[in-house]
Amino acid sequence: MFFHILKRDLKRKKTMNIILLLFIMLATMFLASSVNNLVAVSGAIDKFMEMSKVPDFFTIALSEGTKDEIESFIEGNEHVTEYEVVSGFLLVNEQITVVECQQEPDRTQYERTNTLTVQTCPENFMKIFPMEGEEISLKSGEIAFPKIEADNNNLQVGDKIRIKVGEVEQEFTIKVIVKDAVFGTSYMGFKRVFISEEDFAKYEEQENQVYVNTYNVNMNDEETFKKEWQECNFTVISTVEGKATVSMCYVMDMLIAAILIIVSVCLILIAFLVLRFTIVFTLQEDYKEIGIMKAIGIKDRGIKGLYLVKYLALSVVGALVGLVLSFPFGDMLLEIVIVNIKVDKAEQNFLTNIICAVFIVFIVLLFCYSSTNSLKKFSAMDAIRSGSNGERFKAKNHVKLWKRKRMKLYFYLALNDILSSMKRFGILAVTFCLDTMLILLPLSAANTLKDDSIINSFSLCQSDVYIDNSKLEQYVSDKDVSGLLKDLEDMEHVLEENGMQAKAGADVGYMITCYSGNPEERYTYYIFQAVGNWERHYTLLEGREPELENEIIITDKTAKELGVDIGDSIFFVMSDGPEEFIITGTYQSLMNMGQGFRVSRSANLDLENIAGILCQQVEVEDLEPEEAYLKIKEVFPDYKVLNTREFCAKIIGSVIDQIDIMMLCITVIVLIINSLITVLMMKTIMTKERGDIALLKSVGFDNRSVKAWQIARILIILAVAIVAGTVLSNVLAPYIITPIFGMMGADQIKLIMNPLEAYVLYPLLLLVVTGVSAFFCAGGVKKVDLREINTME
Amino acid sequence: MNCLKVKDLCKTYIVNKRQNNVLRNVNLEVQEGEMAAIMGPSGSGKSTLLYAVSGMDSITSGKVDFFGKDISNLKPEEMSHLRLNEMGFIFQQMYMLKNLSIFDNIVLPAYQSKEGKESRQEINERAKELMHKLGISDIAENDVNEVSGGQLQRACICRSLINRPKMIFADEPTGALNQQNSKEVMKELNRINVEGTTIMLVTHDMKVAAKSDRVLYIEDGNIKGEYKLGKYTADEDIRERERKLSNWLGEMEW
Repeated sequence: MFFHILKRDLKRKKTMNIILLLFIMLATMFLASSVNNLVAVSGAIDKFMEMSKVPDFFTIALSEGTKDEIESFIEGNEHVTEYEVVSGFLLVNEQITVVECQQEPDRTQYERTNTLTVQTCPENFMKIFPMEGEEISLKSGEIAFPKIEADNNNLQVGDKIRIKVGEVEQEFTIKVIVKDAVFGTSYMGFKRVFISEEDFAKYEEQENQVYVNTYNVNMNDEETFKKEWQECNFTVISTVEGKATVSMCYVMDMLIAAILIIVSVCLILIAFLVLRFTIVFTLQEDYKEIGIMKAIGIKDRGIKGLYLVKYLALSVVGALVGLVLSFPFGDMLLEIVIVNIKVDKAEQNFLTNIICAVFIVFIVLLFCYSSTNSLKKFSAMDAIRSGSNGERFKAKNHVKLWKRKRMKLYFYLALNDILSSMKRFGILAVTFCLDTMLILLPLSAANTLKDDSIINSFSLCQSDVYIDNSKLEQYVSDKDVSGLLKDLEDMEHVLEENGMQAKAGADVGYMITCYSGNPEERYTYYIFQAVGNWERHYTLLEGREPELENEIIITDKTAKELGVDIGDSIFFVMSDGPEEFIITGTYQSLMNMGQGFRVSRSANLDLENIAGILCQQVEVEDLEPEEAYLKIKEVFPDYKVLNTREFCAKIIGSVIDQIDIMMLCITVIVLIINSLITVLMMKTIMTKERGDIALLKSVGFDNRSVKAWQIARILIILAVAIVAGTVLSNVLAPYIITPIFGMMGADQIKLIMNPLEAYVLYPLLLLVVTGVSAFFCAGGVKKVDLREINTME
Repeated sequence: MNCLKVKDLCKTYIVNKRQNNVLRNVNLEVQEGEMAAIMGPSGSGKSTLLYAVSGMDSITSGKVDFFGKDISNLKPEEMSHLRLNEMGFIFQQMYMLKNLSIFDNIVLPAYQSKEGKESRQEINERAKELMHKLGISDIAENDVNEVSGGQLQRACICRSLINRPKMIFADEPTGALNQQNSKEVMKELNRINVEGTTIMLVTHDMKVAAKSDRVLYIEDGNIKGEYKLGKYTADEDIRERERKLSNWLGEMEW
C-alpha cells in the first residue's frame, strides 16, 4: 500500500516532481562545482609554486662582470642548501620575427613588451608546464612559448618564428604553449622562451650577445642569507626574495580567483534558496492529501516515512545527475577563468563533489523532515484546509485596486501578489539580487582596471601618449640617462617641427638597497625618478610631492612595512655610503606589489642602479589626447605609440582579456540561472495558481492578459532585485573588491562603475533574457482548462 | 426572442484511448429574460452542457448561437471578449482571487473590459450599488477568507453582473451553501432575472430549480424533457412549484 501510494504520487504529480528533481540537480551541480572550485583555487597558487619548484631566492644579473662574484658568494654561503645558475641570452626586437601566424597571416613583427630571454627547458627550478598535456620535450627547430607572450603576439601552436643572433638565424615552430610559474605573469617584466639544448648551443657560440644568468637558491636561514646578500650590494637586474613574492605576482590571477570565489559563494546561496523554496512549496501542495491520510487513520510516522522515502528517491536521483554534471560545469568555469595557474581538474577532487552530493540529499531530507514535523500540530481537517485551521485572516492585500485609477490591471495584479506573498517571492528576489551582484561586483573590478585613471595607481602620471622605444633598453644597459634626456629633447623638437608644442618625459627606475632606522635591516626597493622637460604631478594619498634633492615620497604599503611616516628619514645605500632622504608624502601603486619610492627630479642617484625605463610619455599642448595620439603615430611610425588605454592594457597584461572572458562567462551563467529559475519557479507557482488562472479566463481575461500578469510579476521582482543588487554591489564593493586591489598594492583605489554597462546594459540584458524566459513559460496559461475552476480548492 | 440556440451539440472526451460521448446531439433554446435550469443525475453532462454552450469549453460538433452569433468556432480571444462583456459566470466553489479584497474582485472584470467608456470611478460606483442591492456593502474591504459562503457567493454574483452581461451562466450556484444562504442567493438571482438578465443554471436542488421558469432534464448527455414552471413571483407558493417539479422529475425516473 505504502509503495502503491508513492508510485501513484510520483506519477500523478509529474510536473512538480520533475521541477523538484531539476532543482535538486541544479543545487547539487552548483554546490559540488563551487566547493570544488573553492578548494582548487584557494590553494592553487601555493601548489603551483611548489610544483614548479620556485626557489627561496633568485636573482637575475648580466652575465658579464658579476657572474663570478655572485657565484662565489652563493657557493661560499653556509646557509645555501641547493643552488643552480641558468644561462640565457637577451633578445631585442630586430632579433626575433614572426614567420607564420595563423591568427594574423600578415604579421611579421614580433611585439616584445618585456625583456625576453632564450634558454633551455628548466629541469631543477622554475619548471614550466604545458597548457595541455603533461610533458614538454623539444627537438631542434622547436620552441616553447609562455602563454602571456604567445597571446601578446596572437601566436599559437604550429606558428613559426625566426631568431637571429649574429650569424646564426634559425626558424622555430611553436610546439607548445606553457605556463611559467615565475615569469608567466604580467607583473614580471622578464619573459623566457625555451629551445632545445642543441639549438641553444648553436647561439652560444656567437659573440656580442648579451647573456643573463638566473641564480636560483634554496637555503636554511633566509633572514641571515638575505642580510649577507644585501651587504654585498651586487649589481643585478632583479632580485626576488621568497616564494611569497612570486605568489604576489599572481595578484591579477588572485583577483580573478577571488571573483570566482565570490561567484561560487553566490551559486551556493542560490542553490540552497531555491531548494528550500521548492521543498516547502511542494509539501504545502500536499497538505490536503496528508489530511486525508490522517483522516483515514494513517499515523504521522507513516506519513512522514512516505514523504521521506519520496524525497530520498528524488534527491538521490537528482544528486546523482547533479554530481555527474558538476564535473564539466566546474571544469568549464575553471578553464575559462584560471588561465595562468595550473589547477587540479574537478575529477581530481572527486571526493569533494561526492560529499557535496550527499550533503544535498541530507539537506533535502532535513527540509522534508522539518516541514512534515509541523504536520503533527495539525488535525486532519487543518491539513485538508491546506494548513489553515479555518480561522478568518486579516486582509492581505496591501494595494487597493479601486484606489489605483491609472495602474494597468496586469501590473496591479502582479504587484499585489508580490506584496501579499512576500516570503514566496522574496526568495526569487534574493536569487535575482544575488545574480545581479554576481555580475556587478566583478564588473566593478573590470571597469576599474579598464579605466584610464588606473594609470595613476601605477605610480605614473596620465599623458596624451606613451612611447615604447626600443632604445630604452639600450639606455638601461648602458646606464645612459643623458642619452635618454637627449632623446626626449629630440622628440620635442621633431614634434615642434610638425606643429605640436609638446613636452616629453620618462620615469627611470632604480633598484636601491635602503633602510629606515636600523642599518642592519636593509631592503631593496624600486625607486622612480621623473626625467625630462615635462613637469608632472602625481596623485598622493597624503603630504606633498618631493621637490628638493633629499625629499622622497613612499608608497603606503612600504611605509607600513618599514614603520615610517611623513617627516621620517630613509637611507639609500649608494656607492659612496648611505644618503638620507626625508619623506614628504605617501602614494599607492599597483607596481611592484605596492612597494617603492619616488624621488624628486633633482635627486642624484647612482646610475649603476638603473633597472629600467618604463616608457617615454608625451603631453601635447592645445590638442585633445586622441588627436595627439594619432598625430604622433604619424610622426614616429617606427615607435610603438600607445594611448592611455593601450598602455594600461600593456602593463596589466592579459588579465584584462581574461576579465572580459570571465565577465562573459559569468554573464552567460547568470542569464542561464535566471532563465532556469524563472521557468522552474513560474511552473511551480502556476501549478498552484491554476484556479486563479482559470477564474480570470472564465471572467473574460484573454490569454494575453493572463500571461502579462504572470510575466509582470517576474519582471517587477527582477527590477526590484536589480535595484537592490546594484545598491548592495555599490555598498559591498569597497569591502569585497577594494581589499583585492589592496593585496595588489592599492588599498585606497577608487572603484569605477561604468554607468552605461552597470545601470543600463546588464540590467537590460537581465530583463530581456528573463522576460523572454517568462514569456515562453507563461505560454502554459493556454493549457489551463476553464472547467478546472470547479475542482479547485 | 431566442438568446441562446443550440443545435446538434456533441461533446466527446477521449478516456483511455476510447471515445466517450458526454453530450449527444443536444438541441435547446433559451429565451431572452428567461431563467432556465438544467437538472439531471450526476455524470449526466449538466455542467459539460453549461460550459459548452457558454464557450468555456470547446465542442466536438454542432452549433451554438448566442444572441444571433455563432460562437462555436470563435477564436480564444474573441471568446474571451464575449465572456468578459456579454456573459456572467457563477461557480459552485465561489472562487475569487485570494490576494484581492472582495470589492477589488468585483471590479476586476470591469477594469479589464475595454468595451465601456466608463472611468474607474464610475465602475466603483456601480460596484457599490450592486453590493448594496445584494446586501454586502459592509464586506467590500474584507479579504476573501473573512466572509461567509453566502456573502461570498453574493459577491460572485456582483462580479458576474459588473459588466452588465446579457446572460448569466451559473453552475450549482448554491451547491456549497447552507439552506439560508442558498435561499438568499436564489432570491438575488430571481431579482436579477426579473430585472431582465437571462439566466441558465445547473442544479441538483429542487428548491432552486423550482424558482426557474423552465427546467430541462438531461440524462446520458441528452435532453430527455423539459418542464415549464412559468415566471416565479414572490407571492407564489414555492412548495406548489416544487411539488409539480418533483412529480415531473418522477416521471422522468429521477
